[in-house]
Amino acid sequence: MATEKQKPDTEEVKIDLFEDDDEFEEFEIDQDWDEKKEGEEISSQWEDDWDDDDVKDDFSQHLRKELESNPAKNEAKFT
Amino acid sequence: MAAYISMGEAHRRITDYLNRFSDAISSQDGKSLSRLLSISSDSTGLLYLADALTTFQDANRVIRQTEYSQYADILVHVFRALQSYRLKNLVESYMAFEKASNAFIQEFRNWETAWALEALYVIAYEIRILAERADIELASIGKTPEKLKGAGSFLMKVFGVLAGKGPKRVGALYVTCQLFKIYFKLGTVNLCRSVIRSIETARIFDFEEFPVRDKVTYMYYTGRLEVYNENFPAADHKLSYALTHCSTKKEANIRMILKYLVPVKLSIGILPTALLLEKFNLNEYADVVLALKRGDLRLLRHALEEHEDRFLRSGVYLVLEKLELQVYQRLVKKIYIIQKQKDPNKAHQIKLDVIVKALRWLEIDMDVDEVECIMSILIYKNLVKGYFAHKSKVAVLSKQDPFPKLNGKPVNA
Repeated sequence: MATEKQKPDTEEVKIDLFEDDDEFEEFEIDQDWDEKKEGEEISSQWEDDWDDDDVKDDFSQHLRKELESNPAKNEAKFT
Repeated sequence: MAAYISMGEAHRRITDYLNRFSDAISSQDGKSLSRLLSISSDSTGLLYLADALTTFQDANRVIRQTEYSQYADILVHVFRALQSYRLKNLVESYMAFEKASNAFIQEFRNWETAWALEALYVIAYEIRILAERADIELASIGKTPEKLKGAGSFLMKVFGVLAGKGPKRVGALYVTCQLFKIYFKLGTVNLCRSVIRSIETARIFDFEEFPVRDKVTYMYYTGRLEVYNENFPAADHKLSYALTHCSTKKEANIRMILKYLVPVKLSIGILPTALLLEKFNLNEYADVVLALKRGDLRLLRHALEEHEDRFLRSGVYLVLEKLELQVYQRLVKKIYIIQKQKDPNKAHQIKLDVIVKALRWLEIDMDVDEVECIMSILIYKNLVKGYFAHKSKVAVLSKQDPFPKLNGKPVNA
């Protein structure tokens, strides 16, 4: 019985009325899922032992150079 | 706009709807009933009916003349809501739907089992959506938008109907989540408190008994509230629950959870993997994470500035700003390690001058006194263990664990 019916022709003009940019999308009313399994992979995506003693990265190397440089030279760079 | 419909056809469509409605109730078919109430769904069936109502004009007579008359208080207003919706009179549509919903609640109260919960969910959803649209209409003609607020009051009433001992109580969390959406939109989040108290303390509710989709939504919103309250361990617990229980098919929702969970985790010293940020397009956090890893104060400030609007809008700016102390800690630690590699015996003495120099390299202009102040905050907050030799302008670090890790706990207040 269905023919293509006109949809509301335009999205309503968005007025900055009340807003919550992060409004959670509705789940389907009858949507259900295995709550145990779903998030397993994603919840392993965190690191808590990142605060290591490694100073081989570029930033640390530059920092080292900077600390070892003599003050006069350093002064010259910033004035 | 509507194609021509004969009176006979219009009458047929109207009685067809009425039959379905009364069949759904007599056979306790919640799903079918819910479809008949989904005003904003633009389903073909409902659009057909709306056009028929416009043609027929006097549908109320049909309702009252027949066996449907016992549901007249619902049906008359549903018809009106539907017809107004079709004609884009959204304020009128909302007001009619609220009346229909009130009448529906009266019936719903008397049904002993929870068979009609699905229909009630649709009512709760529709009332919110129609109110939002009505408010846009009101604002556009210069009137005060007030319907969404009204929808909130109505849903509180619905909450009251569900909050009993019977089987309908499992529906209370769905209504709560709709209320959250309203309060967050209106910026009246303090109104969430009373429903939260009820959900979390009333003996009739057992949280695990609620449908998973509502539990996830609930934990997302209450987690956001904990972020605003700067209660990071609680925020971590709630948002992590939402994250691990969310359907992986709803990527947009996962992203929203992470938008709040990432800053919370950072504040307790836990970093997201690069993969996670990439996968959910949360690149605004990439430099913040890098700044923490490096001890790069300049990068942190730069990242906050670059995404200031975004962070302010979501309300996490202050959380991120407080990461500065952790970044200082990391920077001092790096200086300490570099010194140690050079001369292990003197490494635990850090001249404030050296920190000043490092900061200047990062284009942050601070004098010795300011650095001393920062160092005393770090010591006070237990991010650094040590003391000052004030005269010689040296921070003397403890030989044991000079840079205590947060280990999932927030920085001391």
